[in-house]
Amino acid sequence: MTSSLTAFAVPSLRWGGDPSGGAPYVYADPSNPQNYTGFDYEFAEALASEMGMKAEFVPTDWESIVSSLQRKEFDVIIDGFEPTGDRAREVLFSKPYYLFRLQLTVRKNETAVNSLDDCKKYGKSVGTLVNCAASRLLEEGKYNLKGYQDPVGAYKDLELGRVDAVLMDVAGEMFYARSNPNLKQAGTPFQTGAYVVGIRKDEAALKAKIDSAIDVLVNNGTVEKIFRKWKLWDEEQIKLRTVKPAEIEMTSAKFNWSEGLIKLFKAALVTILLAFGAMVIAVIFGIPLAVGQSNGGRIVRILCTVYIEFFRGTPVLVQLLFLYFGLPVIGITLPGWLTAIVGLGLNYAAYESQVYRTAFQAIPERQWQVAYSLGMRPTLAFRRIIFPQAFRIALPPMTNDFVALFKDTSTAFAIAVWELATAYRELANATQSYLGIGLVVCCYYLAMSLPLAHYAHRLERKLQRKSTGILSSGADK
Amino acid sequence: MITIKGLSKTVQNSTLIENINLDLEAGKILGVIGPSGNGKTTLLLCMAGLLPFEKGSITIGDRSISAEESGISKEKLWAFRKKSGIVFQHLHLFPHLTVLGNIIEAPVHVKKSTKEAAEFEARELLKKLAIEQHLNKFPEELSGGEQQRVAILRAIAMNPEVLLLDEPTSALDPIRSGDVRNLLREFADSGHTVVIVSHSVRFLRGMADYLAFMGKSELIEMDTADKLMKNPGDARTREFLRHSELN
Repeated sequence: MTSSLTAFAVPSLRWGGDPSGGAPYVYADPSNPQNYTGFDYEFAEALASEMGMKAEFVPTDWESIVSSLQRKEFDVIIDGFEPTGDRAREVLFSKPYYLFRLQLTVRKNETAVNSLDDCKKYGKSVGTLVNCAASRLLEEGKYNLKGYQDPVGAYKDLELGRVDAVLMDVAGEMFYARSNPNLKQAGTPFQTGAYVVGIRKDEAALKAKIDSAIDVLVNNGTVEKIFRKWKLWDEEQIKLRTVKPAEIEMTSAKFNWSEGLIKLFKAALVTILLAFGAMVIAVIFGIPLAVGQSNGGRIVRILCTVYIEFFRGTPVLVQLLFLYFGLPVIGITLPGWLTAIVGLGLNYAAYESQVYRTAFQAIPERQWQVAYSLGMRPTLAFRRIIFPQAFRIALPPMTNDFVALFKDTSTAFAIAVWELATAYRELANATQSYLGIGLVVCCYYLAMSLPLAHYAHRLERKLQRKSTGILSSGADK
Repeated sequence: MITIKGLSKTVQNSTLIENINLDLEAGKILGVIGPSGNGKTTLLLCMAGLLPFEKGSITIGDRSISAEESGISKEKLWAFRKKSGIVFQHLHLFPHLTVLGNIIEAPVHVKKSTKEAAEFEARELLKKLAIEQHLNKFPEELSGGEQQRVAILRAIAMNPEVLLLDEPTSALDPIRSGDVRNLLREFADSGHTVVIVSHSVRFLRGMADYLAFMGKSELIEMDTADKLMKNPGDARTREFLRHSELN
């Protein structure tokens, strides 16, 4: 680190990278978590010092790293950043400072998959980071792709069997998968790409300065020293001295609107599945909760209350992460979509139980008594007299909850479920078309929630025409 | 036929009714009078099997219930409850069912009558009270008096041995009209017993065969309606009757 005294005189080069799951590029130093480390960290330090500047690291989010650059949150991107056709529209690329290759990883006991072609042949799912060279390659080849926010989640899911293979830059693969006894490499590294520095379009002067600095660092052995230290140096890197940026451009994702709309439509179907599945669980599981809390013994009552307060008092996002990564610890491994259905269902069951309780409390005791005096037993009285009345009272708040649940399905992005909000993030980040795709996504949500609200309203009115609820609820003397 | 022996009910150390003894043969109408808050409704709820009591026993026809049994929701209590039908002060019609639905609900689901038979009987009853045109209306669409008629028919449709009515005059459109009185009379004459709790002596005059006066939580006296009206034995009864004449 540069000392604070010189910081006044030396201009800083603010560079952005994602330290979350970012090893070995840039990540919090495990032995000293206040500091960062990684080969990109060291490269940035070397680059800035060669330019007579002071490197200043700005932690950011990988998926939206290009738009953060545009918003001037930092001056350059240094984070294993690959030059691609779509990014070329948004940013300038420096000369490459490292040539990477891709490595496919599978579970130790995997026998069928030895290459990417095998994945396609056997219909295996392949996980990778969203918005990177590998994901573009998989998208173009129409593989069964599953996008992740960071490599930790991807390899974890591979171990748990939620995804069949993971394709990652060798650097990430070395750090996160190579030493894992449950995983193995499938085939050898393939397809060369480059890491470059990303610079805003209007900063050609900065690009020129960075390019000449990279030239120096490549030729005086500084780059080699850094990557040797991280055990990432190979003979391939010799090409760095001759290769031009255009030659190593790898793949590019072109946004095709009709294809995009179909993708969003599929994501919308997932959203519908999540919402309906979760609501079924919530509506059913809310019943024993409500009964337990109102009529159970002391212990049952306490357990139900704890459950309800826990699920209402903690964020649903945290609950989903807990179920997704926590349950496998005790041997229960559910796929992401099922985790989302169960998690949202358990969460909303807590809310539905309160709706039921309020509804039943609104039915006067006298309704039970009339039913009893007509010779009905408790179960018949409940089924024929009490429940139909409570249902009318519960319907409007349940409808509200369902619409809210529809929107809460977006939290499933955290556990790599490809629903509508995830699709929006991925497509928009890949294409930088936040506005256009955003409007389409909002239309999808509205197309789902408006008919729902409409039909619920009609059902309410139909029931209300039959009756507004409770007559003569005054207490008898 | 109703027999009540030594009936007492207390709630949190306050006595609601104490040591009530009562005998009433079938085919008669009994009016229970007395100021509000003297335990008349409590007595009615105990007779209906809807309120557990601490002491005594109640017998209706061939079924009786003891203090111990009155608090346990079991076969014996359920059978006892079938012996009587109750019409509450605030009626409590089933708001989600039509007039017809309210009346045939129990015959169809408890007595297991066919829907057709239950509907036929319901129509006959509705005709007697001239409200058959409201058959398919929901309770909220009816006037207070019409709702009360439906509540009475709902109870009568199960053909209980005893019909219990709580403060029928407090309905918005009180049953003064002849057809309701005729219906109750007819119901009693066909071998049933009717107990009407009311603070209004005027309403009971000319309809009740017997009158019972309830003072604070106890049954002060009971006699034929004529005798009790003309020549009450207790000063408290006299005082109450004098007041209600003024009203």
